Amino acid sequence: MQEKNLSFNNFEQCIKCTICTAYCPVVAVNPLYPGPKQAGPDGERLRLKNKFFFDENLKYCMNCKRCEVACPSGVKIADLIHSARRRFSRNIPDLRDRLLANTDLLGKVARPVAPVVNSIVSSKPVKAVMDVMMDIDKARAFPKYQRKGFVRWFKKEAADNQEAYSKKVVFFHGCSTEFQHPEVGKAFVRVMNAIGFGVKLVDEECCGVAMISNGLWNQARRHAEHNTRVFREVVTGEGLPVVAVSSTCAFTMRDEYPDVLDVDNSDVRDSITLAEKFIFEKVDSGEVRLAFKDDYRARIAYHCPCHNEKLGWGIFTKALVGMIPGVSLTILDSHCCGMAGTYGFKKENYKYSQEIGRPLFEQIRSLSPDFVCCECETCKWQIEMSTGYMVLNPIVILAEALDLEATAVANSVR
Amino acid sequence: MRSDTIIIGGGLSSLVCGIKLQKAGQRCLIVSAGQNALHFSSGAFGLLGKLPDGTAVKEPMRSLSFLPEEHPYSKIGVDKMAGYVSETPAFFESCGVRLHSAPIAGEGGFPANGYRLTPLGSLKPAWLAMEDVTLLQSKDNIPWSKALIVNFFGFLDFNSGFIAEGLSRRGVDCRVETVSIGDVENLRKNPTEMRSVGIARVMGKENNWKEFGSKVRKLSAGEDLVILPEVFGLGDPVIIQWLREMIPAEVMFVGTMPPSVPGIRTQMRLKKAFEVAGGTFLSGDTAVNPTVEDGYVTSIHTTNLGSISLDADNYVLASGHLFGKGLESTPSKVVEPVFGLDTDFPSDRKTWCDEDFFARQAYDGYGVVCDGSFRPFIGGKSVRNLFVIGSEVGGCDSLYEGSGAGVAIMTAMSVAGNILSGK
Amino acid sequence: MEEFDVIVVGGGITGAGTARDCALRGLKVLLIERDDIATGATGRNHGLLHSGARYAVTDRESAAECISENMILKKVARHCVDDTSGLFITLPEDDLGYQDTFVKACLAAGIKAEVIDPKEAIIMEPSVNPDIIGAVKVPDGGVDPFRLCSANIVDAKLHGAKVALRSEVVGFIMEGDTVKGVKVLDRSTRQVSEYYAQIVVNAAGIWGHHIASLAGVNIGMFPAKGALLIFAHRVNGMVINRCRKPANADILVPGDTVCVIGTTSTRVPYEECDNMVVTPEEVDLLLSEGALLAPCLAHTRILRGYAGVRPLVSADNDPSGRNISRGIVCLDHETRDGIRGFVSITGGKLMTYRLMAEMATDTVCRKLGVDAACETARAPLPGSDGGGLEETAKKIWDFPTMAQKASVGRFGSRAAHLDFEDDKSGVVCECEEVTVAEVDAAVERLDVCDLVDLRRRTRVGMGTCQGELCACRAAGRLAKATGRAAKAREDLKSFMRERWKGMYPIAWGETLREGSYTQWVYSEVLGLNED
Repeated sequence: MQEKNLSFNNFEQCIKCTICTAYCPVVAVNPLYPGPKQAGPDGERLRLKNKFFFDENLKYCMNCKRCEVACPSGVKIADLIHSARRRFSRNIPDLRDRLLANTDLLGKVARPVAPVVNSIVSSKPVKAVMDVMMDIDKARAFPKYQRKGFVRWFKKEAADNQEAYSKKVVFFHGCSTEFQHPEVGKAFVRVMNAIGFGVKLVDEECCGVAMISNGLWNQARRHAEHNTRVFREVVTGEGLPVVAVSSTCAFTMRDEYPDVLDVDNSDVRDSITLAEKFIFEKVDSGEVRLAFKDDYRARIAYHCPCHNEKLGWGIFTKALVGMIPGVSLTILDSHCCGMAGTYGFKKENYKYSQEIGRPLFEQIRSLSPDFVCCECETCKWQIEMSTGYMVLNPIVILAEALDLEATAVANSVR
Repeated sequence: MRSDTIIIGGGLSSLVCGIKLQKAGQRCLIVSAGQNALHFSSGAFGLLGKLPDGTAVKEPMRSLSFLPEEHPYSKIGVDKMAGYVSETPAFFESCGVRLHSAPIAGEGGFPANGYRLTPLGSLKPAWLAMEDVTLLQSKDNIPWSKALIVNFFGFLDFNSGFIAEGLSRRGVDCRVETVSIGDVENLRKNPTEMRSVGIARVMGKENNWKEFGSKVRKLSAGEDLVILPEVFGLGDPVIIQWLREMIPAEVMFVGTMPPSVPGIRTQMRLKKAFEVAGGTFLSGDTAVNPTVEDGYVTSIHTTNLGSISLDADNYVLASGHLFGKGLESTPSKVVEPVFGLDTDFPSDRKTWCDEDFFARQAYDGYGVVCDGSFRPFIGGKSVRNLFVIGSEVGGCDSLYEGSGAGVAIMTAMSVAGNILSGK
Repeated sequence: MEEFDVIVVGGGITGAGTARDCALRGLKVLLIERDDIATGATGRNHGLLHSGARYAVTDRESAAECISENMILKKVARHCVDDTSGLFITLPEDDLGYQDTFVKACLAAGIKAEVIDPKEAIIMEPSVNPDIIGAVKVPDGGVDPFRLCSANIVDAKLHGAKVALRSEVVGFIMEGDTVKGVKVLDRSTRQVSEYYAQIVVNAAGIWGHHIASLAGVNIGMFPAKGALLIFAHRVNGMVINRCRKPANADILVPGDTVCVIGTTSTRVPYEECDNMVVTPEEVDLLLSEGALLAPCLAHTRILRGYAGVRPLVSADNDPSGRNISRGIVCLDHETRDGIRGFVSITGGKLMTYRLMAEMATDTVCRKLGVDAACETARAPLPGSDGGGLEETAKKIWDFPTMAQKASVGRFGSRAAHLDFEDDKSGVVCECEEVTVAEVDAAVERLDVCDLVDLRRRTRVGMGTCQGELCACRAAGRLAKATGRAAKAREDLKSFMRERWKGMYPIAWGETLREGSYTQWVYSEVLGLNED
């Protein structure tokens, strides 16, 4: 006898209250997108009747998960949408989508010639060509590739010291730390070392989030299987946590692997965490103490990225940054920046992407902070390009604000 | 992670309780599993519209003595009820939510029910109304003789025909018009997303509300009353004021099918007030695995925060009735899923529902069993530092009585008072 | 006062089919229905396009009729039929030996029954109970009775028939032993009118018992209640049957966006036929038996419960009604009872409606001396002249919208006549993708008088929310189309009551939550319970 009148097919928990539609940033700007209710639970019922009811316009979903955060019924709306795309879409990703999806490959190719690539992709004629040939909007500023990646730095400068720490974490640096923002990784290593944790790298692959959004399902699944296997060795083998600095990487590896890609990660999921959550837990339990510089001063506005809203971990960043004595912290209203990974790069989305982010940009401009704090690199690109304000990962802020020497002493590291 | 009080649920009662505690210096954490019933608000709050025996209530405070002793209002008591009822408008004002009552108060200055025009042209009793909503003094006497009802072209969630029918029945001469403006037409390209909130977002742009206002102004020459759908001022109610001022007739905003624009605005403002006061609001997170020892809750966890234990001196359960999943039903039971609190329901499910959709439904009155201070029981044993507020409290059929918001606000204020006074 | 060749009493599938057949043969037809089309057993069954396999062992004649009609309907009623094929499964507790008997009987009746490996069956139909020890594939399918009934009426009207809904036969006009016509009460105006015809055909299903008695004729009907449950989505792609002697809750049929498990069989007093309610015991039985066919039914949301009354003609005193032949009974009351100009067509089932109509029409033609061949086995129903869903939709529109696709599902090629211009592309029912265009067309052309009628034509309110979101929109549109807001408001009340009737027997879990939310919206927000 059934107890709950409720399906394992999660979409039937939907009682058609329409709340999701009120929180979808895409519906608000793009009339081509059918909206989360129609694309998700309503559409799923029709698709089960006949796959002819699949609508290619589901591609306009940014996968920001705001519908899921708002849903009072616990329906995994965005998962339904992306799993429908995976099952039914007949669109074959084109060259542009393949390029955007392969954030790691793109980085590897671009890095040896980084200065050239950076100047090329920021030059007007090349942008015009990309616009026409590749459907990448010419107004879009490209993140700059760094010649010297994070891993090379780590091996050369930091790896040897890590053995000295009895406690360790596995660092999932992600593509942006490796190719565009090695300073985030360096900051992570410095902070972790100061609080008494050695850092270990593993043979990670791109988390695959961009492959999911660009429809490269098989490739995404291969990455998911690889990473999960690699994590399994360190998590179940050595009892280490896997710590990321990008909320999107952490979210994808925890939740999208099982929910969208059908990759079982149940034995490692709970060990995949975000730097801020990891540090906060240690501080909250008294295991770690932080010593801040006396003279650090900053007016910071915090933007919680959509995927961190979904993880529900923004409170840890707020708490940690809020602990810095010289900081005045403003929490920005909960709005999507419109970038959603590679979504905002695409010519067909550029206008909508800017429109979605507009309220956020306006609020940042009106607050005029020293800089914006955010755990996601693609939000960073969007906000920096659209507002001119600098965006820093919280781990970078912490590395800057902490008296690392004093912190190391407080944690009996030296 | 430590707080003074942890509140489970993020709707009306939770936010009222959280704001009161936070403003009194407590550190509060709200755990909210998805959005809540304010999103389907009628735009007005009811205190008591009907007694359990079906008698219509004109002045709620004068009818409290007719309520049974297990009713939450009876548990609070007449004196405290009077205090909370008087305090409510100013409390909401301080959170940026303007509420108004019927034009003329009842005996002793206590509120008399006004009447809200519903989207189907009925009149429902109400205690306090949000800025959009006009409250009428009486059911029978409509102070206008000519009304213009304006809808957006192609907007199906506002049925001007029914409103016209309801008003004509009461002797008002009605005319119906539709208006289009460019950005709303653009919205209409998406056949499923022509909803109240979508229009409200479009109408949040100044050029749009101005264009709409001037079109309605032109149409409204010679009318006493202009009725518009409640799709204005999602972010800022100034638009409502502006429309009222620029249209040369009484302007009344009438509800739409969900979602409710005034309800969402109220939710956003209360949440903001809570966060500005320093409270922490966890969105989209679910409370699980509480620890209860010797009649005290010592900690809870949430699905998002995993192993992190959340502890507090006091815990408040405000997770709603069936809709909010504060209560769940199986073929034989009605249970409270977080703590497994004692609930009050008959085991024969045949008796849960009336076969008439519009009759009083027994299940509406099921809830958590509480003592006089809204402390619940587990297996008959009282839990000393847990309080239950809002629709989850048993003892009343709030849909039938029209007391949903009243019970939410009154129990929230009462429990906040008890927590602060250390009772 | 108008005179007809034939008056058909009853707007169920038999009456609709008979009216169409008569009209196609050039007769001047009036169809009279006391309520709306498909309100009786027509709209209260599985919607199973029988292959006949279910009756192969027990009733060879019915089985042969079924397979023959099955093949005809797949051709002439394409947009009403879902050609899913079906499985007859044997569970460990069943006798696998029965499978042989079953297959032999099927083959003898001309039904293609193919024994397949249980493993293969699980791949073909993943929802089926994985413990099966035997599986037979048969040409079962789904048929939408509302669509089928409506298409027959549309075609009858296209061929000159008149249709009077909400018209109740209250008496016969007799000249001695000859029926000359009927006295009809118009249920909206309460006026009684007289209609004359050379022949009156009683096709009133279980209520045919009463109609016959008005003419002084007795037909011993056996009202057998069958309860069914609708699940909120399609869990199975193929029909799943138990391979055993017909029993309770042993057929699971996918139909449109849902699937249906049934049935029970209980004799009920004739007086209760108008108000069938599903009991908790029936719900429990259907669920536990249903989960044996497809275990996921144990955790699939139930949308509603409903019950119909089979119009069986009693032959003996069997208390269950299962052993009564489902065979067709065509009675010429002139030869049977000495009443001239009166024919009853009853028994049978949805599946054989066309054959029943043919038999009734043959009788009418014979009595009238009309020599015209039956066309209904060849002529496609309106909307069924195109191909499949995708093909038909793409023939009409280059890039059909979701709602346009859904409308082709309901109207077949006739969806081309829908007008999606102006505000008509707006979606009324989001669960089933019903647009203003369809609502307006149904009111204009399909004799829709209230919201419940509209549901039968368009599936408005038949989805997960059971009217919560769409009923008010549809009522608003109905008010606009008819210009009668006060009536539309009352219709809205009746509609919500009618939806709740199917929900409260299964109101726990998410269904009670949905109901509670809906009651909040309609009572508190909309104030439909107040004046």
